[in-house]
Amino acid sequence: MRFAKTHEWIKVDSDIATIGISEYAQKELGDVVYIELPKVGDKLTAGEQLGTIESTKAAGEMYSPISAEVVAVNDDLAASPQLINEDPMQRGWMVKVKIENQAELQNLMDEASYAEFIAKESD
Amino acid sequence: MVKYFSSGAVLSCLSAFKQGYNMELKKTSLHQKHINAKGHIVNFSGWALPVEYTSTLKEAKAVRSACGLFDASHMGEIRIRGEQALSFLQAATPNDVSLIDVGQQQYSLFINSDGGIIDDLMIYRQEDSFLCVVNALNKDKVLLWLKQNNDRGVEILDESANTALICIQGPESSAIMNTCGCNLNNLKYMHSIYSDIDGKTIFVSRSGYTGEDGFEIYSSWDDAESIWDVLVKAGENFGLTLCGLGSRNILRIEAGYSLYGHEIGENVNPYEAGLGWVIKLDKDFIAKDKLIALKLSGTVKKKVGFVLLQGGVPRQGYEVYIEDRLIGKVLSGTYSPNVNKFIGMAMIDKEFASAGTSITLKIRDRLCGGKVVKLPFIESKVKREMP
Repeated sequence: MRFAKTHEWIKVDSDIATIGISEYAQKELGDVVYIELPKVGDKLTAGEQLGTIESTKAAGEMYSPISAEVVAVNDDLAASPQLINEDPMQRGWMVKVKIENQAELQNLMDEASYAEFIAKESD
Repeated sequence: MVKYFSSGAVLSCLSAFKQGYNMELKKTSLHQKHINAKGHIVNFSGWALPVEYTSTLKEAKAVRSACGLFDASHMGEIRIRGEQALSFLQAATPNDVSLIDVGQQQYSLFINSDGGIIDDLMIYRQEDSFLCVVNALNKDKVLLWLKQNNDRGVEILDESANTALICIQGPESSAIMNTCGCNLNNLKYMHSIYSDIDGKTIFVSRSGYTGEDGFEIYSSWDDAESIWDVLVKAGENFGLTLCGLGSRNILRIEAGYSLYGHEIGENVNPYEAGLGWVIKLDKDFIAKDKLIALKLSGTVKKKVGFVLLQGGVPRQGYEVYIEDRLIGKVLSGTYSPNVNKFIGMAMIDKEFASAGTSITLKIRDRLCGGKVVKLPFIESKVKREMP
């Protein structure tokens, strides 16, 4: 599993990857009440907007960690956005994508570097 | 997620919070209690206060199903004392202060020379004086305005620094107060008395900002900690939940109550804000002529409630349309865990203000259908009539 500086995680299974937001991000956001996600077939570019997430405290944009094509969207989140708070790394996943360029994964942090990164950010 | 924007003046969002936290924030005497309870502290009008403890939605639900406890010690308390105190307040506020006796309170406003709202407040009539409770953000502005208009030689005392305010709100409030040895069963809505909790003197009123039954408990700054502890302990068997500013905002929107900076402000007159009932034109007060003129000319805008038919958080400033025509803007909005809908209040052209009217909100680049509804969103549970 790898992480972006913008707090998305990505889990790779050969050429398919699953994307969501981190435990740290959900905690900072508080209760998620609404989410806007792309559609199956949409092309994502690394670092560009993946969707919008709104909590009781704030609204924010999520960014795609890599360039890819959306192959599945977690439809449960529309009716149950609280899954992102309850289980951000599993049932709170957002999209599955077909990876375009495996090399882009190298630009992302591993779990240890991400832990260090958020420790600094929450100072 | 890097780009956050604020959900309005009421809540500092993440990035603003991080910047704001470097400022020297004022702390209430309950600050350590909030830290111990793992409250998520934000900058609210220069005060360090919890926006939530665990979950804003759970806290907002707890107040309607059981009970919630809030620290509102940031509010400003201004005492007016002197022989001319009543006539001074009669001139300074548009509601009729002579309608309340000692032990009663009244909602009122301060009106500027344009007919706009300087602040809203609660006036408590006590034995020898009146206590005006104003918004933290406006306290210094109001103090100055009162002093400038003090042509009757009354004493105007800022007691904010030594006055704590704890609010207990929800159907179990009365039972919890009883458990604390404070029997308020016969106290009516908008009435107040002196009592004590754990040997500490409190001035307590049956009122609040949620639309539920509940009490507002004033004490000395230093007594608040032990009063808070006693209430928390007594509330254990009643589902008492610590509540932050996030739930306070949701609850007041559900109840249709105004918040300065949203529904009311210096550029909003009481008629368009739905507060015409506060204005008593059969008495004299500052800016009465301006309000008469506004009433006669009729207002163009009106504050309404709305619900969305789809998902999306309505936030302050979002545009409201009917077909292609811009008819107004959102004042406040939220997801309501009690109504289970996205709800809000908007200031729109009066001709479209009747309940049931279909509207469209522009949420960022998306159009979202909704309809005008009657306020409040929840049935008021305040104890106007005693059983």
